[in-house]
Amino acid sequence: MRVSRLNVNGDTFEVAAPEHWTLLEVLRYRMGLIGSKQGCDKGDCGACTVLMDGKPVLSCLTLAALAEGVEVTTIEGLLPAQISAGGAGTDPVQEAFHRCGALQCGFCQPGMILSARALLNENPTPSRQEIRNALAGNLCRCTGYTQIVQAIELAIAEATGGEPENPSWSPGENPWKISHTSPEDLEKAEPT
Amino acid sequence: MLRLPKFQVAAPDSVAEAVALLEQHGEDALVIAGGTDLVPNMKHELFTPELVVSLANIRKLRGIKQAEEGGLTIGAMSTLSDVAASEQVRDGAPALAQAASLVAGPQLRQMGTLGGNVMLDTRCQWYNQTYFWRDALGFCLKKDGTLCHVVAGGNKCVAAASNDTAPALMTLAATLVFEGTGGQREIPIHELFLADGIYNKKVRGEILTAVRIPALAPGHRGAYGKLRERGSIDFPLFGVAARLDVAADETVAYASLAAVALQARPVLLKRSAESLLGLRPGTRDFERGVDEAAELAYRQCRPLDNVPGDSDWRHEMVPVYVRRTLLAALEGSGPVHHV
Amino acid sequence: MAARDNHGTDAPWKEGFQVVGRAHPKIDGLAKATGQAIYTDDIQLPGMLHVKMLRSPHPHARIIEIDVHQALELEGVHAVLTGADLPKKYGVIPWTPDENALATEKVRFTGDEVCAIAAIDEDTANAALKLLEVKYEQLHAFLDPFDALERSEPQIHDEIRGKEVRGNVSKNVKLEFGDVEAGLEAADAVVDDNYFFHGTTHTAIEPHCAVAQYSPHGVLTVWSSTQITHYVQRALAHVLEIPEAKIRVIQPCLGGAFGGKSDPFALEFVVAKLAMITGRPVKCLWTREEVFYAHRGRHPMHLHYRTGARKDGRLTAVDAKILIDGGSYSSFGLITTYYSGQLLTGPYDFPAYRFDSTRVFTNKPPCGPKRGHGSVQPRFAFEVQLDQIAEKLGIDPIELRRKNFQGEHTETVNGQRITSNGFLRCLDEVERASSWKERRVKLPRGRGLGVAGSMYISGTNYAVYPNAMPQAGVQLQLDRSGLVTVFTGGNDIGQGSNSVARIIVAEELGLDPEDVRVVAADTDLCPVDLGAYSSRVTFMVGNALIDACRKVRKQIVQAVAEDWGVPTARVWMGLGEVFDLEDRERTLSTREAFHLTEERFDTLGATGSYNTPELGGDYRGGTIGASPAYSFTAHVVEVDVDEETGRITVENCWIAHDCGRALNPMLVAGQMEGSAYMGIAEALLESHDVNRFGLHAGPSLLDYRIPTSVDTPELHALIVESLDPEGPYGAKEAGEGPLHPSVPAISNAVFDACGIRLKQLPFTPGAVLTALRAKTGEPAPVRA
Repeated sequence: MRVSRLNVNGDTFEVAAPEHWTLLEVLRYRMGLIGSKQGCDKGDCGACTVLMDGKPVLSCLTLAALAEGVEVTTIEGLLPAQISAGGAGTDPVQEAFHRCGALQCGFCQPGMILSARALLNENPTPSRQEIRNALAGNLCRCTGYTQIVQAIELAIAEATGGEPENPSWSPGENPWKISHTSPEDLEKAEPT
Repeated sequence: MLRLPKFQVAAPDSVAEAVALLEQHGEDALVIAGGTDLVPNMKHELFTPELVVSLANIRKLRGIKQAEEGGLTIGAMSTLSDVAASEQVRDGAPALAQAASLVAGPQLRQMGTLGGNVMLDTRCQWYNQTYFWRDALGFCLKKDGTLCHVVAGGNKCVAAASNDTAPALMTLAATLVFEGTGGQREIPIHELFLADGIYNKKVRGEILTAVRIPALAPGHRGAYGKLRERGSIDFPLFGVAARLDVAADETVAYASLAAVALQARPVLLKRSAESLLGLRPGTRDFERGVDEAAELAYRQCRPLDNVPGDSDWRHEMVPVYVRRTLLAALEGSGPVHHV
Repeated sequence: MAARDNHGTDAPWKEGFQVVGRAHPKIDGLAKATGQAIYTDDIQLPGMLHVKMLRSPHPHARIIEIDVHQALELEGVHAVLTGADLPKKYGVIPWTPDENALATEKVRFTGDEVCAIAAIDEDTANAALKLLEVKYEQLHAFLDPFDALERSEPQIHDEIRGKEVRGNVSKNVKLEFGDVEAGLEAADAVVDDNYFFHGTTHTAIEPHCAVAQYSPHGVLTVWSSTQITHYVQRALAHVLEIPEAKIRVIQPCLGGAFGGKSDPFALEFVVAKLAMITGRPVKCLWTREEVFYAHRGRHPMHLHYRTGARKDGRLTAVDAKILIDGGSYSSFGLITTYYSGQLLTGPYDFPAYRFDSTRVFTNKPPCGPKRGHGSVQPRFAFEVQLDQIAEKLGIDPIELRRKNFQGEHTETVNGQRITSNGFLRCLDEVERASSWKERRVKLPRGRGLGVAGSMYISGTNYAVYPNAMPQAGVQLQLDRSGLVTVFTGGNDIGQGSNSVARIIVAEELGLDPEDVRVVAADTDLCPVDLGAYSSRVTFMVGNALIDACRKVRKQIVQAVAEDWGVPTARVWMGLGEVFDLEDRERTLSTREAFHLTEERFDTLGATGSYNTPELGGDYRGGTIGASPAYSFTAHVVEVDVDEETGRITVENCWIAHDCGRALNPMLVAGQMEGSAYMGIAEALLESHDVNRFGLHAGPSLLDYRIPTSVDTPELHALIVESLDPEGPYGAKEAGEGPLHPSVPAISNAVFDACGIRLKQLPFTPGAVLTALRAKTGEPAPVRA
């Protein structure tokens, strides 16, 4: 058993765990941070991606004992970070994934979102190819990556004041602008 | 979840301490750098050390420096993504930067180190599997068993060297700095590897601390080509590094080719490279030279059914990737990769 | 079909749709995006034990002896189970109960479960596994389906031997409609060819997991990563021999399924039994390797087709003979065998059809239902064969498909009722979007376009256990807060069925969608629904929801109209408010309207149901493949073939899918894109097979290569809405149909690119090079 001082999502914790435990096991089963997922056991899927000092790494291949002295960010850390930075709501990447339908089963998405967040921190205006390259270590089985790429492009567009490209299924209008008619719109509607 | 076997972890902050721990624990200790290969291998019970000695806290093992005498010194614990992104490496060792950029996937390059990739264990489809799987098979020559499943009746392990950076470093004539209890020594990278898939390195018990790349010859052109099924994550099914030094008279003054993912060691394709010497790019003779280099590489490189994938197709791709990588080197483009 | 089952295609309020038809984020999207969503392995209960399973190292063997003593003695081990502890056989199809939770007498594939150990943690359970001793007598292993077809000894399942022993046959279906021989005789062109579809697996990123707790009152609760809660409950009751009423099954958030979580699995029985005998909560999380052994994926099929056509392109007859490699157990195999023939009879009309499909057992991980169950493989073969006919007759492949279109509101040759059918518009859409007319045949060598079409069911009227009760049931609770809670047994497996439920209820009751919550897939709380398979949830649960909503809507409208003293026709509910259509100043919030209604009618709530109409051909098996509505799809795929490496790159995939009304086009597009991605992956990268030892060739996400973001082409979803008369507001399925055409469309595009016909899957670069050489007559390189 080893007591590690882990800095996770801005706080330092003393966590006791057997020495052969991975960071993923400690996060999930000691600290209750179950947002980091386990999909492949051994570094092939990216579902366990966390940020260490801002860089995306795989927590299933990181020994918890060796995660001292770095800042670990898990998916649970993004929303509080957004709030302490004075922002409203979730991280814009999380919000965009939500609005674009990029979350189907959602299991790969904590890792995917953290990879996307790390990319945008480093390069706020990546090209589509750069987005795809940055996500190439996060397997998704539901989406075909299309709505994920759209979400990141929406987040970029909104951060830079640009217009996202409309998806093929809604060529005429940006479907992510308004999710439904507001009651105010309804009041304006003329009875038929 | 697939679990790690039990072990203790040490994270010394000097090479001397690390070396002392290795000496003290002998075969019960293992060095861990980025852990991207060792951790899955331990989960597979291919290694069950009592002590894992991490190099992560040894600060002097990180960093990429311009050497005074020219060339680069790259700390062994520099991550593959740092190596791939470094302007110094891209200028001073283009094939290495390209090879590093194609190792595994993005997260693994953030974790994996240059030293770890050089010292990578060989790979085989009958070996890189769980204990249950290997047990069901009756194990194999490389670990726990007596039979080779790649070569019927084979008594020599042919697990494949699968480190993308090794051939790049071979064409760059890199040297490796090792430190052990007996002190420090430097050996050329092509002398490191043995034709033994069980353990394909001459060095044991010492720690790779740095990779040194000599100053480039004038007119150096380098590139790396990697064959794999997906555009990310996968190990090489074949990898080739190419180097052409184009002299002031525009002829090839020096050429080097090295390949990986064949058998236990990365190999220099000497005769293949020699067929380009003295030729002037842009001429028909050079084109013929490239074809000859490709053909000689095809004859020298014999992919086996050690790594997953169709070995006949891998063999057919040898001349294609040799040719494409040579041309990419010449053009200053690359890496040669299908995506 | 009762009146309750059919609600028309119109909006519930005459002002038109307020919620349906727009891109709504999912009900659980933010929970998933922030890591708050709870999946099965996220559940940790105090004192919970962990289970590891011992698996067979042999593909086929008789168990002689199991010695568990040493394992039991290990400190921290609480119980060891063997097959003797769970002797009752089960099967998801009640006619073919050939599985045991743990092997009883025999093991039938490498990876078959033999023992289960519950210990204080996984490490202890793993250590105990190595102390178990099992003696086996190895038997002949059937790794080749042709061997299994011919050879009767040994029998893989000797206990279910039928009246006639022929090989190791799991199921044979022979059906003939019309005069096939006469049709072929009358044809101007006949194409006769063989095709092979390899095995592939679902590869949901979440591995299977189950947790069980047994209460002192004798109630068993099982949380499981299942896509069919109801069948798990039934199977647990059957195997554990306790009443269903004592079993509660809950599906937490599910990390993908694709058919791979449809069967009851060993881990569910094992955690339940262990919780009962140890008195502690028990969890079993399978490793990724174990998920590959559990499999139930796409059946490999060897397919032989003969198709005849007249000069004008009209088909005259189709004759199919199919050998299906089932792996070691039946699973849904009875249905698979029917589906391999029954689902081919659209969107094209042909007057004569025959199929002869045989599923055999082999000593490999068991096959089952994967997205597009049983019909992706024949669709591949047939759509390639259609292109061969087009080539032979010199007809544009899209034109050939148009000419054979079966039409709307018709009946197929095998007696299935077709209602709405937007296939022609699907063809138009992909033709336009891909610039087919301008580009096909004219692209540079190595580039090509290919088309394929398909049809798929929106649910089936064949419940796996025969009963006359509704296939979908829902319940609504209208709270005084203005919140409406939906209780549905339908399983949201990531496809978004809970979000669809929210949209329908918000539309019907004029609510802000945020005021609808959904409780799903908990057998204690939710009415029975048959679960997430056969693309049934939107269609069936959607109709049941409309049924329930209209009951309470009637009450609300009546209560408000009475209160206002106006005719009910003047009351309109929309997005959280109730309006008087003729006096727009007069409004109530939904909450106030609920209060009025509750005062008038007492506590508010309703149930709703759906059942399919009587469907299907009048012959044995005629109801299998019968669906209340069919979806239709066309793809055009653009490929680039590197003729030097043999590598096929899909550059673009245009997916036009007739989903009826798109209730939420963003979710529909997500299903279409995900389906096409999965089909392309099967065609180019994935292969699920065993090696010469009968061992899975690479049970990891490193060796079973699913595409990454850089391996996935641009996917262009084009939604076609045909409005089905019986679907909820006209909706049909979108989750499985759009997978089918991607596989044959790639083959057809490769033909356009470089003139080779790929008929064996997967389309590996090596196979492409071999085909290119065969075309030019160039010899294969000799390995000097």
